[in-house]
Amino acid sequence: MIQFFQVTKRFPGGQTALDRVSFHIPRGQFVFLTGASGAGKTSLLRLIFRADVPTEGQILVNGRNVSSIPPRKIPYLRRTIGVVFQDFRLIPRKTVFENVTYLPRILGIDLTARKKQAYQALRRVGLAHRLNAFPQELSGGEQQRVAIARALINEPEILIADEPTGNLDPDLSWEILRLFLEVNLRGTTVLLATHDRDMIQRVGRRVLTLDAGRLASDQELPGTDPPQLDPVPSEPEPQPAIAPPGEDTPGEDTPGEEPG
Amino acid sequence: MSFVQAILYFFREALVNLARGWKVSLVAVLTIAVSLFVGGAFVLVSTSLLASVERWRGEMRLVVYLQPETPEPAVRQLAAEAGRGPGVASVEVVTAEAARRRFQEAFPSLSDLVEGLGDEPLPASLEISLADPARRPPELRAWVDGWRRRPEVSMVDDDREWLGQLETVVAVLRAVGLALGVGLLVAAVFTIGSVIRLTAYLHSDEISVLRLVGATEFYIRGPFYAEGFLQGLLGGLLASGTLWAGHALLRLRNPDALLTRVLVADLLTPWQAAALIGLGAAAGLAGAIASLRRERLTVTGEETPG
Repeated sequence: MIQFFQVTKRFPGGQTALDRVSFHIPRGQFVFLTGASGAGKTSLLRLIFRADVPTEGQILVNGRNVSSIPPRKIPYLRRTIGVVFQDFRLIPRKTVFENVTYLPRILGIDLTARKKQAYQALRRVGLAHRLNAFPQELSGGEQQRVAIARALINEPEILIADEPTGNLDPDLSWEILRLFLEVNLRGTTVLLATHDRDMIQRVGRRVLTLDAGRLASDQELPGTDPPQLDPVPSEPEPQPAIAPPGEDTPGEDTPGEEPG
Repeated sequence: MSFVQAILYFFREALVNLARGWKVSLVAVLTIAVSLFVGGAFVLVSTSLLASVERWRGEMRLVVYLQPETPEPAVRQLAAEAGRGPGVASVEVVTAEAARRRFQEAFPSLSDLVEGLGDEPLPASLEISLADPARRPPELRAWVDGWRRRPEVSMVDDDREWLGQLETVVAVLRAVGLALGVGLLVAAVFTIGSVIRLTAYLHSDEISVLRLVGATEFYIRGPFYAEGFLQGLLGGLLASGTLWAGHALLRLRNPDALLTRVLVADLLTPWQAAALIGLGAAAGLAGAIASLRRERLTVTGEETPG
């Protein structure tokens, strides 16, 4: 699904963000990307959705070499990738509905279908009742859930998140993490950047660790202590059951698709 | 999204942006309206003047004023001679008495002035109509110069000479007007460009999200292009409306004044109005395109390694 081959990213000032990084994330896998601040996590994520191009090496996303995609094709790549940031990136002058439905609107989907899509996406994150609210009327956790709904609205093949819990307190962080795990259960490949080692240890999954731009380790952690995650708050319809983090999930450890 | 859907979306967003930043948009609209008004007014006035010149050209004559003491038979003989000149269609003899009557009819208030003078105060003249008033072949010019040198002739008045001078004035007027209009239009294009750039800056957060979720450049830039187009269109409409209103006001207040008839003989035609509005819209669109040509908004606004 996502393959890096000896990828190096150097900035014009000469600073090296990534140094000969190679790995392979199979379809449907949940992967943590960790490392200290400045280790290269954000730079790595930006290369996946072609916000940047590598200085050296090749990147394949769903079989496509993103480094050589012509600029006019980049939007089509991005439509298959959901992206969530630490600072939510919601537009304050737009309602939750409008914030969530940017992509369906771009695709020319009519209003009725957009409303349905928005409702479904927001229901997944427990916020279907806040369709007409503005971001500033929501808590930090709710804003991040709206951002996740926006990333999920088109059922992307890949969901990448850059420190999505960085601005949230521990309880809200678990709530958000639970959403990512649920998304992954549905088959979406998830790559989540965080420096929260405690969260990683408790959830247990594959972990890529960056250190000064180099891939320091690529390890599979057992889910030794599955976190007891609270259900997503008040929604009219019951949420689908979620497998406890740490258990095997579809698409994980697929034979022949071991990390490379 | 179909092309039509996209265009509708662009204009909807543009209208929202115009309403939201109406003060800044108003400056852009007024700038373009002033430039189009100035350019349009100069073109209209010069077109009216040129039309008057053309009309006068069709009525052009040569008038040969004779010495006051020229006897009647000599006048007749000179008229017959003039009738044989190159390109001469007809010759009308205006006796001194007829000239005085004409003056009194044209200027009744000054009638007593010429009545009090004993002898006929105005000279007899020959009014020579030409077969083709617009043309002045060299042999005709030489023939006219010959008349100027004759002792019986006190003066030859050739309408062509002052009409030529008027044409030069009109051409200069039109050139100055066009230069001024173009200069102001360029300024208006830059103003609209600045307004669009400011709007794009104010929407940079949304542009960033649009790029992130996979919007094409066409989709991202479309609303800004539509906004520039609308600003130009409104400016053109305002300029056309003001020109039309100005013309109507002049006609209403002084319908028979020479200045009104000469300077604003014709109303802004629908084609001229459409051209003015189209020019405004094109200028607005050009301003928007030029302003966003080098716009480089990164997908997330971050360029430092993380």
